Amino acid sequence: MQKTMINKNITLKPGAEELPKAKNRFVELAKKFSKRKTAVAALIFIIFIILVAIAAPSFVPYDPGASDYFAVLQGPSKAHIWGTDELGQDVFSRLMVGTRLSLSSALIATIVGTAFGVLLGLLAGFYGGIIDSAIMRFCDVMFAFPDILLAIAVVAVIGPGMINVMIAVAVFTVPSFARIIRSATLSVKSQLYIEVARSLGCSNTRILFVHVFPGTIQTMIVNFTMRVGTAILAASSLSFLGFGANVTEPDWGAMLSTGRNYLNTAPHMVLFPGILIFLTVLAFNLLGDGLRDTLDPKLN
Amino acid sequence: MKRKKLVALALVGVMALSLAACGNKEEKSSTKSETKTEGTTAKAEDGYLIKASNQDAKSKDNDLVIAIEGSVSSLDPANIPDTNAISATRGIYDTLVKFNRDLELEGSLAEKWEISDDSLTYTFHLRKDVKFHDGTDFNAQAIVSNYERIIDKENNLRQRRTYIVTNADGSEKNRIESIETPDDYTVVYKLTEAWAPFINRLTQFCVISPKALEEHGNAIMNNPVGTGAFKFQEWEEGDHTTMVKNEDYWGEVPSVDSVTIREVPEAGSRTAMLQTGEADFIYPIPSDQIAAVEGSDDINVHIDDSNIMRYVTLNMNLPELSDVKVRQAMNYAIDKEAYVQVMYNGNAKVATSLVPSIIHGYQEQEAYTYDLEKAKELMKEAGYEDGFKLTLWGDNTSQEIKGMTFVKQQLEQINIDVEVLPMEPATVSDKIYVDKDEAEINMWYVNWSASDFTMDGSLRSLLYSTMVPPTSANTAYYENPEFDALLDDGLHTADESEQKDYYAKAQKMAWEAAPWLFLGNDEVLYSTKSYVSDVYVLPDGAFTFSEAKLAQ
Repeated sequence: MQKTMINKNITLKPGAEELPKAKNRFVELAKKFSKRKTAVAALIFIIFIILVAIAAPSFVPYDPGASDYFAVLQGPSKAHIWGTDELGQDVFSRLMVGTRLSLSSALIATIVGTAFGVLLGLLAGFYGGIIDSAIMRFCDVMFAFPDILLAIAVVAVIGPGMINVMIAVAVFTVPSFARIIRSATLSVKSQLYIEVARSLGCSNTRILFVHVFPGTIQTMIVNFTMRVGTAILAASSLSFLGFGANVTEPDWGAMLSTGRNYLNTAPHMVLFPGILIFLTVLAFNLLGDGLRDTLDPKLN
Repeated sequence: MKRKKLVALALVGVMALSLAACGNKEEKSSTKSETKTEGTTAKAEDGYLIKASNQDAKSKDNDLVIAIEGSVSSLDPANIPDTNAISATRGIYDTLVKFNRDLELEGSLAEKWEISDDSLTYTFHLRKDVKFHDGTDFNAQAIVSNYERIIDKENNLRQRRTYIVTNADGSEKNRIESIETPDDYTVVYKLTEAWAPFINRLTQFCVISPKALEEHGNAIMNNPVGTGAFKFQEWEEGDHTTMVKNEDYWGEVPSVDSVTIREVPEAGSRTAMLQTGEADFIYPIPSDQIAAVEGSDDINVHIDDSNIMRYVTLNMNLPELSDVKVRQAMNYAIDKEAYVQVMYNGNAKVATSLVPSIIHGYQEQEAYTYDLEKAKELMKEAGYEDGFKLTLWGDNTSQEIKGMTFVKQQLEQINIDVEVLPMEPATVSDKIYVDKDEAEINMWYVNWSASDFTMDGSLRSLLYSTMVPPTSANTAYYENPEFDALLDDGLHTADESEQKDYYAKAQKMAWEAAPWLFLGNDEVLYSTKSYVSDVYVLPDGAFTFSEAKLAQ
């Protein structure tokens, strides 16, 4: 095992003519990824949703806050393709515009959570000892709570609101990242090139961020993608429970929450936000699956 | 990796299931919307909006379950914050006199009464066959000890304000000069001055067992002992209140074994509970839920006039809202017709004064007809062309949130940016009843119904100068001595036309000052299983169940 490693390192070392190989590797990965149809479909869907989030206000047929008080709770029709809500607002327009709020809150929360999680994981894995124990025991405590319960507890303490929901979601993202990145760090740390870097006199900080960290990026990307899905679900759940977006804002979870009152008479009010949340979360999970299968060398 | 696959599989399964479920519902609703178009909400003569086709349905048990929107926040009848609490306490307690279904006064614990010619002495002759739930006898002394408890400042009870008037200088005056008991079953009230609504106010005076009062003090709240048709069993705040039949009731012993009042803020769940039979009676049924029960063969929907006034208070102490032009502009900016339509499907009236038309002394006012141009003009004159920001508080029930959102949308048209903040009813109370210099309130989406059906009861607590929080609910902080004087004059005169004059002037004055956004007057909408009879809602929104029957 070690021997092959050395060989690999040595063959990779020499100079400029080897660079195209790196590019080849990307193409190779892309090829491998494209064979996974579900992951490709998920990626396309996600790109589409992101485009919607960016462009929605300019293409939706109605102002999301505009009401037609004399056409409330109407089912899908030509004028309102996904129907209207209890105040006569166009459900399609609100959901499309709401994409930005729902998606950005989930993304921001995950990015923040990932940043902290990765940092903690790196420190724990790299330094070991008491730092490791402290961080991991802290994570164990956090793991003792179910994700959504932890988020509710956080919001209950710091108060409702979209920013606070992001903080809550970020908080429960941290421990799982810390644990995953720690194990990735441990395996990278034992590689020979780290030993080499150390013997060349690199400082700990340099080794940690320049040599170890890049080795964990694959793991990070895969988990990040999966976590975004969870975060969308969590943010929507919190809004559904009334902790998140203000009731008047077009947020997927909040719309689902309002809609459940009209389940009998206007099922389209829960159907469309429900499907949208479901598909988006599924897409992020499938993409994560696909990425992991692509990036994991053991799964060739 | 296997785990993830499993998760994905599970998700797909859930999706399939949820889609199937949704499909079902959609089919159902399409059949329903057909029935909806033919049976639009025209009010029937006999109070039925929808009359069930199967009037011979049978109940599977003899326990009445009532599901309500708000909460039963108190079981101390002398310390009642709202109509739901009044309704619940009326199961356990009796009053000297009460309103019947036609809003006429009739005797309850008092068999009969006399009023002296100068309207200052009221003599009540009490029933002799009445016992409290704890086995002690009801007599005149019980009335006295209850009265003394209420006016004792130490107890800090809301009903104290009924009898004790706070003057502008902070001193206090009791409206009742003395209360005497010539014998065990006679009570004589002597008033300090003429006080027209006195006997109406007595419909709020519940008699608690003096023995229980001695034992529990103000903790009587959690241990209610009265003379009513039902004995208290359990009160879980925020969830339910249960009472069981009082076999020794002095009146007609209840037909049902128990009554449970459940608090269900979501309109959809409440309606579903009625459909499944989990609840026998629901109040209110929002008009947008009526379509859901249409077509079921054993559900009635009733509609009745009410004295519930819907409005938004404007804190006049805020610099922006201190300008009458701004307040009027806000009133002009609200499309009341649309409000009535979107909130009540047309089953309500646009507000035409500070009180609904069934209140004695009501005078129609010049409408703030929806007029955006005029509203913008007034905002410009006040120097707020670019608007400002305000918060709007209210209860977190689905119907209240909808109303608040409506108000927000309307005020946006004149550049007022409203932040809607729905809260638990108890939280709203906590935030509102604070000292003046700590008040954070901007606007409050709220409603009021005076359970004594008088003009004074409708206005004094809400707009009289000394009634600002924490004393009472003048959350507009409307302080106008002229208005106060008119209310006082109206209260003290025995001459009806003179009284009408005072009240007309008072209404005009406050209407023009616009301390509120005047929205509408509800009609009471409630729904029952067709096997339920004699459970109904009075115009003030209080539900009455002591004579309830469930067909077996």
